[in-house]
Amino acid sequence: MPKMKNETVGKPGKAVDPWQEPETTIVRGIASGGVGGEPAALDSKNGKIVRIRPIRWDWKYDENHLSTRLWKFTSRGKTFECPPKSSPPYFTFAYKKRVYSKNRVKYPLKRVDWEPGGDPAKINAQNRGKSKFKRISWDEAASIIASEIKRVKETYGPFAVLAVGEDGHCESKNLHMTGGCHMSFLDKVGGYTRETRTPDSVEGFYWGAKHVWGTGANMGLAMTSPCENIIKDVADHTDMIVLQAGDWETVQNFCGQFWSHVIRYYLDLGIKFVVIDPFCNYTAVAHDEMKWIPILPNTDVALDYAIIYTWIKEGTYDKEYIETHTIGFDKVKAYVLGEEDGVPKSPAWASPICGVPEWTIKALAREWGSKKTSIGHFCGCHIRGPYSHEPGRTEAYKLAMQGMGGPGVHQIHLFSFNVARQPIKPGYGPLLGAYKATQFAPTVQAIPRTMVHHAIEKGHVEHYGSPQIIFAPAEDQWEKYVYPAPVEEGGGEIHMMWSEKPCNMGCWNGGFKFQEAMRSPKMECIITNHQWLENDSLFADLVLPVTCVAEEADAVGSGFGVSVNWAGIQDKACEPVGESMSDYQIAVRIAKEFGVEDQLSQGMSDDEWLKYAFDTSPIANDISWEEFSEKGYYIPEFDPDWEKGPSGLREFYDDPEENPLDTPSGKIEFYSEALAENFPDDKERGPIAKWIVGGSESEGWTHDETLWGEKAKKYPLLLVANPGRWRVHVQSDDITWFREIQTCKVKGYDGYLYEPMWIHPVDADKRGIKHGDIVKLFNNEGIVLVGAYVTQRMLPGSIMVNKGARVDPITDRIDRGGSTNLITTPKPISKNCWGFAVTGFLVEAEKLSPAEMDEWKKKYPEVFARDYDPASGSRYSGWVEGVE
Amino acid sequence: MKAFVIDLNKCVGCHDCQIGCKDEHCGNDWMPYAKPQPDTGQFWMKVHQYERGAVPHVKVTYIPVMCQHCENAPCKAACPENAIYQRDDGLVVIDPAKCNGCGDCIDACSYGVIYFNKELNIAQKCTGCAHLLDRKWPIEVPRCVDNCHVGAIQFGEESELDLTGTETLHPEFGLKTRVYYRGLPKRFVAGTVYDPMIKEVVIGATCTLSGESGKFTAKTDNFGDFWLRDLPEADFTLTIKADGKTKTMEVSTKEKDIGLGDVPLA
Repeated sequence: MPKMKNETVGKPGKAVDPWQEPETTIVRGIASGGVGGEPAALDSKNGKIVRIRPIRWDWKYDENHLSTRLWKFTSRGKTFECPPKSSPPYFTFAYKKRVYSKNRVKYPLKRVDWEPGGDPAKINAQNRGKSKFKRISWDEAASIIASEIKRVKETYGPFAVLAVGEDGHCESKNLHMTGGCHMSFLDKVGGYTRETRTPDSVEGFYWGAKHVWGTGANMGLAMTSPCENIIKDVADHTDMIVLQAGDWETVQNFCGQFWSHVIRYYLDLGIKFVVIDPFCNYTAVAHDEMKWIPILPNTDVALDYAIIYTWIKEGTYDKEYIETHTIGFDKVKAYVLGEEDGVPKSPAWASPICGVPEWTIKALAREWGSKKTSIGHFCGCHIRGPYSHEPGRTEAYKLAMQGMGGPGVHQIHLFSFNVARQPIKPGYGPLLGAYKATQFAPTVQAIPRTMVHHAIEKGHVEHYGSPQIIFAPAEDQWEKYVYPAPVEEGGGEIHMMWSEKPCNMGCWNGGFKFQEAMRSPKMECIITNHQWLENDSLFADLVLPVTCVAEEADAVGSGFGVSVNWAGIQDKACEPVGESMSDYQIAVRIAKEFGVEDQLSQGMSDDEWLKYAFDTSPIANDISWEEFSEKGYYIPEFDPDWEKGPSGLREFYDDPEENPLDTPSGKIEFYSEALAENFPDDKERGPIAKWIVGGSESEGWTHDETLWGEKAKKYPLLLVANPGRWRVHVQSDDITWFREIQTCKVKGYDGYLYEPMWIHPVDADKRGIKHGDIVKLFNNEGIVLVGAYVTQRMLPGSIMVNKGARVDPITDRIDRGGSTNLITTPKPISKNCWGFAVTGFLVEAEKLSPAEMDEWKKKYPEVFARDYDPASGSRYSGWVEGVE
Repeated sequence: MKAFVIDLNKCVGCHDCQIGCKDEHCGNDWMPYAKPQPDTGQFWMKVHQYERGAVPHVKVTYIPVMCQHCENAPCKAACPENAIYQRDDGLVVIDPAKCNGCGDCIDACSYGVIYFNKELNIAQKCTGCAHLLDRKWPIEVPRCVDNCHVGAIQFGEESELDLTGTETLHPEFGLKTRVYYRGLPKRFVAGTVYDPMIKEVVIGATCTLSGESGKFTAKTDNFGDFWLRDLPEADFTLTIKADGKTKTMEVSTKEKDIGLGDVPLA
């Protein structure tokens, strides 16, 4: 696949000044969140990337061609056009720093005190996350892996290898996409145990709202579906958008920054934005027009019910819709009015719980009850905390009471970005013929990602629901799953782990507990594939170097979250760094040891696969292979009648009998008969959503994470762990250019760059904490060190630390990297819902005394002697022997 | 003459511009225009941020600042080696080949936008991406301009740009800068007015600031909020009036913006 030569100024081979040297360009999305995203141009020369910049759609196509592909529409007299230039995430522009990171894994690595063979004395499991690595050859790595797979399977059974896939370095890839390339291989040699990816970021909808409005987007995410034509409908009809914990300006960066344009357009139309968040987030602070309503973390149910109470009392909800489109409203009504428990859920009741003044609750309820209101939802924290199925459901209740699906009343979410419907949806959709990862294929034995540490510790776990992030209807949650699978089916305990996504400890629940599980001698061999030496890889025995997107030829288009859907094909922008290979190539390389590589590759080269993907895709009817390869990107036409299509749940709104939801009744279910039947004794997730305080384990509660229980006496601060402004999940924490931005890190007195802990002066003063102090953040799970960022952007009583900082272990259950997931509970959302609860939990913050720090330094000198570079943080040379 | 217009009302604080500048210049040699910028520590384009107000009336103002490309550039005058030149298009550039690293320009610069590169022993700053402008490929504007996804930074002929309502940073320095700003922050006073007896917000209350520097009025919205913006730095008396009730208090914007939180009107 040739690179696109540009109108270069200099000529190859001719000596010119540096500024005139010729460059070549490819077009591809670089999104760390695992989708194609908005495309960027990567300019390279002499085998290195020079710059990464936005592209203009008219680079390779003329105005006439684009006129049927770039949408525009007019609403309330203002026209909104597809921006002529792409809006990649800002991470894209700094991606060079990831490719050439000081923390990049360049060669296969083996932990110095680990030997294959399973001898407890030689695996030194207890030293995982402590001992260093050394470089080995690919041949040695492949041979060790092959022999370990064979040994472990022969010793413990066909499914003794746990394959962990997707997400940790899930970048914008297709042929080379991570997420189960190793599973595709292991499937050819007798099977494996699959780690099931759980519905992270939308847990509350998955376990809660799914029982109100059905399966939802992507066949299981339980955010509303269909979700087409919402952007224009909101422009036409909506008066107010409530972002109940959704930081659009930030979270959009997992794919692009198109939503900034949407926000600006909506503000220009006069749509009011209300941001409800404990933290005055980056969306709220950037726009003068927006109103911030601070709320205590994990108390959204109280606020929601006070709003609903006001609507019921004042009659400001759609009673006819409730009659025709919903069932069970009377039960919720009785609960709200206090007929069930004697406690009316009034604004006066809610105010001390959620920290929002009574008058503001009433004002919000009245605005909402009298104006067309949509909810904007982008993975906000209220949907990822303890008992998150409850706010997931009250969010659905609120929309239902105001006529969901009607003009201007929608849930605006991650999947409702498409402005104009395109009959061909590129993304990596039509070119999926090249896709190799099989993360979502069912297996005989599986463990949910939220339970891996429990499974290793106990050797046996049971749970309801698969619980897979997609392809999971509500009924799946009535199914009981058991690990291990029955012996007669080949079931047995896992003794080896191979991860293409080494960030369980930084992204999922109970991070410290996960570290302990990785140190279990039961786990005889742990392999990770990863580009950077971080997080779970520090606890591995073998680390395999993976290529970044810039180093691979691939066929990747938009994925989602973009201004317009496009298809792409691209050469690599630079050579692979060190000896890295893609996850697919690694799977093929290991398969070779078993003589099954042809079963993976079908004997086809990478280039042949890309051509095959094109030939079997619908865009092959639109554009020739030659033209597509030459231009590098292609936008299919939009449907000329797109504006006439139904918006969101409009068809259900217009005729619920003809267009039912996939709930048991076909309607919105305030009360879930199915939940009542299947879990009659579940006091945490009953048939209707409730405000749940929780309590002690002995009384059968999973959580006690509010200011109203016993735990708060010891740990009185509610921590909200919002998605990072300068990271995508755990990715990009090493980018030097971000780390020098004021809000990215806090420099401690020791020169270490700590993860900021945002705290209000009132809470800081109480604890003698000053801006810039090193702070010990702790609860029963352990201690993480953070740096105090004293601010007015935080509601007193709560603090905020962005999730996803890299772990940097000091010792067991003490870490200085600031990864909040380490101190999250390993427990589920609630008894029967094995999602994670990774925000909205109790902690205490204390200024770290230099004496305590010195004690650690004395006790763990090797930790503090590790090579560390404030500019990029924890680095490769601190963990690998013999590196300059 | 080339000039920039930066509209702070459009800026969303994403740092596209700052990162794009780093991407263009860190590790890239654009001689004869510029030597590579060190990976960290220099900001040829820097987004300054100011947190303003108090819970729950908080905003952050982001101000991207780079070399102001002064017509009367003091750095140029201060350079003993004549290494700093003004191009025909007005951009002020330090010639890395001539610079002897004396640092006089750094002291002379009123905006603090010139940095010292220890390793190369030269002074460095924004070049307006002159190498791109002259090469006209792959883009014909400075990287910060191309990178900005919300169009907050414009670049072009000073005579063709819409400069109405713009300001410059520190015009009192008299340096005739060519970076113009729209929406430079002025002080605000904000609050939420409520009736403590009935525990309701007060809608339509008249909130007036008066003092020697003038009189400013706003009404509370449906959330009981008032935002008095674009205020001078001064002492004021704030009077809140509604339904025959009046409340007065002294506020001062001399030091900072004022977020009053919830204000009872009894």
